[in-house]
Amino acid sequence: MSTIELKHINKVFGTGLSRVQVLHDVNFTAERGELVLVLGPSGSGKSTFLTIAGGLQTPTSGEVQLNQKSLEQLSQKDLENFRLNKIGFVLQAYNLVPYLTVKEQFTLVDRVRKAGNIDSNELTNLLKYLEINDTVDKYPAELSGGQNQRVAIARALYTDPEIILADEPTASLDTGRVQEVGKLLKELATQQNKAIVVVTHDLRLKDYASRIYQITDGKMVEDSKDN
Amino acid sequence: MFLALKEIKHEKLRYGLIIAMIVLVSYLIFVLTSLALGLSNQNTQAITSWNANSILLNKDSNTNLSQSLITQEQDADLKLTKNDAYLAQASVVTKSSGHEQIAANYLGLQKKQFVNQNLKLSSGHKAENDHQVVADEKFQHSGYKLGDKIKLNSLSGSYKIVGFTKGAKFNIAPVLYGTLVGWQSIRGLGSNFKASAVVSKDSHVKSSNSNLKNYSIKQFIDKLPGYSAQNSTFTFMIAFLMIISLIVIAVFLYILTIQKLPNYAVLRAQGIPAKVLVKNTIFQSFILVIGGIIIASILTILTALLIPTSVPMSFNLPLLSLVAFGLVLTSILGAIIPVRTILKVDPVQVIGG
Ligand SMILES: Nc1ncnc2c1ncn2[C@@H]1O[C@H](COP(=O)(O)OP(=O)(O)OP(=O)(O)O)[C@@H](O)[C@H]1O
Ligand SMILES: [Mg+2]
Repeated sequence: MSTIELKHINKVFGTGLSRVQVLHDVNFTAERGELVLVLGPSGSGKSTFLTIAGGLQTPTSGEVQLNQKSLEQLSQKDLENFRLNKIGFVLQAYNLVPYLTVKEQFTLVDRVRKAGNIDSNELTNLLKYLEINDTVDKYPAELSGGQNQRVAIARALYTDPEIILADEPTASLDTGRVQEVGKLLKELATQQNKAIVVVTHDLRLKDYASRIYQITDGKMVEDSKDN
Repeated sequence: MFLALKEIKHEKLRYGLIIAMIVLVSYLIFVLTSLALGLSNQNTQAITSWNANSILLNKDSNTNLSQSLITQEQDADLKLTKNDAYLAQASVVTKSSGHEQIAANYLGLQKKQFVNQNLKLSSGHKAENDHQVVADEKFQHSGYKLGDKIKLNSLSGSYKIVGFTKGAKFNIAPVLYGTLVGWQSIRGLGSNFKASAVVSKDSHVKSSNSNLKNYSIKQFIDKLPGYSAQNSTFTFMIAFLMIISLIVIAVFLYILTIQKLPNYAVLRAQGIPAKVLVKNTIFQSFILVIGGIIIASILTILTALLIPTSVPMSFNLPLLSLVAFGLVLTSILGAIIPVRTILKVDPVQVIGG
């Protein structure tokens, strides 16, 4: 009964001499109610793993299941709906539309997804919690890297998704903020019963994780929490 | 629509430049089309004003009015009705002291027939004797006034302008409407010849003479010296201009869309349906082109108001609307071509890892 399940995933880029296998027989599960951390150094295949898990790219072989449904069986439209309604993505870069103000990033979602988004009170609280409530009228280019990242987190939470996939959500945050974001994600997992997957090389998030996977050179192993 | 408008608002310079380009391209097409049409109209204006449907010419005239003559004998074989009217053409050069020479068409009419009866004057009166003429407005613009005397070719007698009429150009040259007798003396033909042709509002003139032949006005116009050649030249010029401009606009919109792909990739990753993105792209192109066309239309109208009257410009609203429609259509096409790319956009490639 896993919410996200990756079975025997291999991912190969290129052919011939330029052939690189980025993921080797990756097996992974995450359930609702837990915050799963995937730790690994740069170039280990974290982003590749996360985008495959979210259906943004297809694996070379293996199967991805979201809510017991194989992604392969979903049509393009179903996949879109799935991403819009069930998944919140926090990507490593380019999360926001440059010509929309912070407020308008949310308005855009309202226009496409008319119901089910968190209400304006909750949004205000969320923005306050992330200390970005005074940036609502600014364009992404006018925000710092950390502010951009926190807006991206708020944006991912806005649709109240069951699953949150976050790629280095704390990369440009200072330790205090990392702890706040960690706490927020943990709360979302435990109190609101979401499945949260965070890929990062940021060890500071370790304390908030329910389970931890280590990825090195595309090989993923689950850590026992106590070492 | 939301995205499209926000983007234009945020990227004013970029979109301003694109609109400016569309404005210039459509302005160019509009003005050239109007100029070509203006010139083309100068061939046919007078003919159009008669509202005739057919013309009877000498069968050996090569459908050319100035080569056609109807003798008195042939005239006896004609049965003219009130819908028929004689037309007697002579090419003349007008001379008058203090005025430039003007190459004109003297068209002799019979007073009681419909062409003369329906003649609309902007001032003065119709010719009452064989030495009076009604002149096209071109003479007025060149400084001639009512009552001015002009000499034709090197003939000894002089002719008095007693009226002006608008839109009387025949085969590019302005028309002097006179009488049949006036024509006989200008051509120096004596009284053996009746006229050059008979125009009719009916589909043909009743004639039992095998040397005379009926032509439709369209056949006649197509055979005007230089007319068809001129028209096809202009048609090709404008068609090429259109095609090339449309390709340029389409390419610009294509590049514009391609530049948006990183943003679209993010939006697709967030689950914004591709349909929304495609609609926005097309809507945006539509706004840009409509905006451009509106500005270009205003410029064209201003140009028409300011351009000297010696440069003929003629606005044909249906034709220009068609041109505008073509612009809108191709630019939407230009925006649609990359839609496949939008649908296929791989969020990962743009977002990176
Ligand atoms: N489209 C691609 N074509 C070829 N190779 C790729 C492609 N995408 C990723 N790779 C390679 O796969 C490997 C893993 O990339 P990935 O982006 O998943 O790493 P990462 O763990 O997210 O690194 P970082 O911490 O720097 O973000 C890298 O060596 C990268 O060069
Ligand atoms: Mg990465």
